[in-house]
Parts: sequence; structure tokens; C-alpha cells
Amino acid sequence: MIANPTIVALALLLVVLVVAARAARWVAVVISVLAMLAFNFFFLPPVGTFTIADPQNWVVLFTFLAVSLAASHLSAVARSRTDEAVVRRDELARLFDLSRDVLVITSGAEAIPMLARSIAQRFDLEFVAIALPRGPEWDVYEGGAASVAIDRKHLSDAFAAARAVLEFDAYARTYAGHRTIDVDGRAVRLVPLRVGTAPSGILAASGRPIEAGTLDALGGVVALAIERATFLEERKAGELARQGDALKTALLASVGHDLRTPLTAIQIAAANIQSPHLTDADRRDQSELILGEVERLNRLFQNILEMARIDAGAVAAEFRPVHPSELVAAARAQVEQALRSHTVHVNVDRDEPVRLDPRLTAAALAQVLENAARYTPAGASITVHASATEEGMKVSVKDEGLGIAAADLPHLFDRFYRGEAARARAGGTGMGLWIARGLLAAERGRVWAENDPGGGARFTIVVPPAQAVAEAGATRS
Amino acid sequence: MTPRDRILLVDDEVAIQRSVGPLLRSHGYDVDVAGTGADALKQFAADPPGLIVLDLGLPDMDGTDVCRRIRLASDVPIIVLSARGAEGDKVKALDLGADDYVAKPFGPAELLARIRVALRRVATQPHEDSGQLVAGDLTIDYDRRRVLRQGAEIRLTPKEFELLTLLARQHDRVLTHRAILKAIWGGNAVEQPEHLWTLVAQLRKKIEVDPAHPRYLRSEPWVGYRFATGSPEDL
Repeated sequence: MIANPTIVALALLLVVLVVAARAARWVAVVISVLAMLAFNFFFLPPVGTFTIADPQNWVVLFTFLAVSLAASHLSAVARSRTDEAVVRRDELARLFDLSRDVLVITSGAEAIPMLARSIAQRFDLEFVAIALPRGPEWDVYEGGAASVAIDRKHLSDAFAAARAVLEFDAYARTYAGHRTIDVDGRAVRLVPLRVGTAPSGILAASGRPIEAGTLDALGGVVALAIERATFLEERKAGELARQGDALKTALLASVGHDLRTPLTAIQIAAANIQSPHLTDADRRDQSELILGEVERLNRLFQNILEMARIDAGAVAAEFRPVHPSELVAAARAQVEQALRSHTVHVNVDRDEPVRLDPRLTAAALAQVLENAARYTPAGASITVHASATEEGMKVSVKDEGLGIAAADLPHLFDRFYRGEAARARAGGTGMGLWIARGLLAAERGRVWAENDPGGGARFTIVVPPAQAVAEAGATRS
Repeated sequence: MTPRDRILLVDDEVAIQRSVGPLLRSHGYDVDVAGTGADALKQFAADPPGLIVLDLGLPDMDGTDVCRRIRLASDVPIIVLSARGAEGDKVKALDLGADDYVAKPFGPAELLARIRVALRRVATQPHEDSGQLVAGDLTIDYDRRRVLRQGAEIRLTPKEFELLTLLARQHDRVLTHRAILKAIWGGNAVEQPEHLWTLVAQLRKKIEVDPAHPRYLRSEPWVGYRFATGSPEDL
């Protein structure tokens, strides 16, 4: 027979403690009471009844109950602290992840919607909205799976309330500016976005409950992110404006000369034609001069247009099968005037059709040919080699000039760049090769320059066949 | 009969050579053409022309440099061709001794008028030896420091007379603001063009029939002034 009730009581207490450490608080309390009753029923004389004979055993019984209840309470408190710490750590981790997202977000129209989506994702929220006041209206950017129509009046009220208490909240670390509204049975938290003590908008969140302090910190992060996006936007706009100005200046400077010379020549030659002292041969020569100069102005005009199209991203490729020989002939025809004082040799291997945009390719090749004619002495020869290869249409243009200075090679295709030697010459705007590269890029073609080991410069154009372009596009997307 | 004036045209642009050459020939000038600065200097040394038309943008050397080197050897009239707007180059060339400039794009009448004026300057130089310049109804007597219009004397302050003589002695030639300021007020005054504006306005009131449309004391915007001896229609 088990005689010592103290040993029994200690054993039962152990059971109660184990339960209290693991289970919820009410379970621990129920177990404590049950253990007390069982102790009384089974172990305190008279055994088998709830009555107690010896008054000393009342003391034992109540001590047992008090100790087990206190143990349950302490263990529950400790566990809830732990849970709270885990939640805090979790939310801090989410905030940290979000702040990393913010750094990745660039400027532009997508910046704030992206921010709303990031918050919904990082905090596992069903609905997130960033509302920014714009005059009396609100711009609302939503994120999350659910969509909730928040009354604009709620936003305005919350914003006005936040404005009143935000300063106090900031000093006292209270959250009086926060509100919870009910939209179609869904609790939506409204938190002011604050920078310092001024609200800049409202963050609405719904779904998982989030601790007020975390929400407040979240409001701060969002406000900073918006400020950052606005700042980036302004900086970008400023940069674009500066680039635009620089471009205009460069364009005017480079076009100026190419415009003045033909205009002067045309004006004077036209007057010469009217003069009665001219022979017929001279008159013909003057009219040819006018036609040639008009052609030059026309090229310049075309170049400016092409440049504007490339800048606007308005160059669209239209593909059809083209023979290399056909392409070279088309390009030569475009710059006939410039090539007149040069001898052009054309070699074509494998004159098989390649699917590409004939207009873009020929225009780019014409630019390269014109460049070769411009920078080699009159009478020199230019060799064009064209072929249909596995990688597409390949055309190389080799001249007998001095070649390209090492310092110029990396910048040859920059807009308005003119080589060291070219700058001393009168003609040339530095647009041609830039345009050639821009046109080819629209059909995924490339152009590059190198010095030929045998002397002179060699420019090579490669345009991949259009089918290959379509495949490349498919794998990319 | 005077021998035909020979003009050396210096420009690397074939289109300019092919148009300006026939223009000048059809107006009775002989024309030589040079495409580079070095070629221009060589031709000038071999057979000095009566006038040089010089483009400032040359492939081998700076046009203002060509101007300076020719001026070291000769007083031949030089007319500079420059881009409109490139005032700095123009002023530099004029300061280095060019007589005049024409901005591209220019028309035939403009170039021919400038050539006529420059050649006349050379032709009328003997007048200066007599200590007197007669232009239109104006007579400037350098020795007696007197200016007459239609026989009536015009009273000028010493500064006004100094400015008038400076311009008249190099008549039909553009003198830059800088050069005039330096000659009359000294090197420290070159940054103070307002002296010059005031003095020119005073002088015009006295010598011009219509000071708002001066016949003699012509402005070259942004560049300088010239004393014109030709008819009012001439540029």
C-alpha cells in the first residue's frame, strides 16, 4: 500500500508542470484541478471518497492546488513571451526584406504599385493599398490577392486624424493615428505614412493581424520608399533634359557646316547659270553642281530623320528574302554621288537569298560606303565583299585609306563622334556610323570596324536571318 | 587699261571652288584656287595675287594662321569666309589683319560687293599721301585736322577726330571693337565697349546726314566698325 501522500503529490505536480509547459493555460488549470481531485479521491483517507478525515490533509490539498496553478501561470507567461519574441523577429525579418525590396525598386510609374505588391508578399497580407493624396483626390495603388474598395472619405478622415496626432504619436510612441475600418465585413487597418512628424499618405492593410508597432514601422519604410522613388524620378527627368540639350547643341554644331556649304554653292551656282557670260559647258557644270549639292542636302535631311526615328524607337523591321548582290546594288545607288570619285569593286559569294529588312540593311551599308569614300583619297578603291553565310548576311567594306587610329576605334559608332583626322576635314557630321548601327540593331544586325593587316580599314556588317531572330525572341521570352 | 585683278580662292570644299571660281571669272577676275593652307601660302609666295578669299576651316591648318602669315609679308586685301555665328573666329581673323569677312551661306552679290570694296581700298591709297580723304560729300583733312561736309566745316572733339581718322585711314576695312578701343583708349579699355558706343553715336550725329542710317560709319554687328567710302547702296 502506498502510504506517503507527499510522494504522490510531488509526482502529480510533476505531471501538472509538464502539461503547463506544453499545453495552453486553460488545459493546465483543468489538469491542476483534476490532479487535486484525483489526489483527494485516491490517496487521501478515507480513500475512495472526496471527504477528508484529517484536517492536516486540507493544507496538503490546497498547497498542491496553489503550487500547480502558479506553475501553470508562470509557464504560460514564459511561453507567450517566447511566442511574442518569435513574432517580433519574424516581423523584423519581413521589414528587413521589404527595405531590401525598396532599394531594388527604381523610379517610374511602376514603382509604387510594385511597392504595394512587395508589402503584400513580404507580410503575407491579402490586401495592401498605398493611398497618396493628390489635391482633394486620392491615388490608390493596390497589392495582394484581394481587392477592397475603400471609401475615399475614410482615407481623408484617417489622414486628417493622423495629421492631428502624429507628432504626439512620434514622441510618445503611441499609435493613436492608426484606425481600423470595416469594409464588407473585412477589417482594414489604416496606418499613416510618415516622414518625421508629417503624414504623406495612408497605408491600408488587411488579412493577417500585424502588431501596431510593426505597422507603424512599415508606414515609415513605405513613406521613405515613396520619397526615394520621387527623388529618382526627378533626377532622371533632370538628366534627360540635360542630355536633350547636349544633343541639340551637338546636332546644330555638326549639321551647321554640312548645311552652309551646299547652300552657298547652290546659291552661287544658280546665279552663275543666270549670267550671260557662261559657255554651255560651264552652264551644264553649274547645274550638275547644284544637283549634286541638293543631293547632299537631301542625304543630310534623311540622316536627321533616321536619327529621330532611331531615338524614338520607331524603326520597325520588315523582312523579306534578299540576295546579297541586290543589297549591295541598292546601297551603292543611295550614295552614288559620294562614290563617284572612287572605284568600287564588288565580290559576292553564295548569292543566295537571306531573310532580312532590305531597307534598313541597305541604308546601313550605304552609310558605311559613304564613310569609306569620305575618308579615303579620291581615286582610291573600295572593295565590298558580300555573302550569304550560316550566321546570315555578311558584308564587309574595305578601303585603302590610312586605317583607323587606335584612339578612335572604341568611339567610332558613337553619335557625333568624329575621329582625330576627320575633325580637321570640313565635311561630315559624325551621324552616319551611329545611324548605321541604330538601323541594324532594329533587325538584330551588327556592325564593327577593324584595321586590315594589309592596310586600310575594314567595316563588317552581319545581319542574322529573320527566322533565327524569331527563335531567339521565343527563347528569351 | 588696268590689268585684271587676280584673286586667290582658298577653300577645301570642291563645291565652293566649283561655284565661286566661275562666279569671279565671269565678273572679270582671274582666279587661282588652293585647297589647303600650305598650298595657299605656296601660291601666295610664288605669285602674289591682288586679293585673297580665305575660308577659315581648312584641313591642314587654322585659317587665322594663314591670315597672320600672309599679313607678315604683304598688305594684300584678305576676305575671310566663316560660318555664321562663329563671331570669335571672325574677330580673330580681323585682328590678325583680314580686311573683311563674309558669313556662309552667302550670296554672290554679297561676296562681289566685299571684293569690290576691298580692291577699291588698295586703289585709292595714293589719296592718303596727299593728307586728305574724299568720300562722297565728306572731306577729311588729316594734316589740318579738319572735316568738311559739302564745304562746311564740322567741329569735332579731339577724341571724335581720332576715331574718324583711325577708321578713315583704313577705310572700307572692318576694325574690331577691340582694335579700336585699344588704339584710342589703350589696352586697359578693351573690355569697356560702352566708351566706343557713345563716341560713335556722337560722331554720327555730326558727320552723317541720317545718323540712324549711317552712310560712312557702318556697324558690323558683334564685330566692329568700318568707314565706307562707296555709295550708300554698297555693302
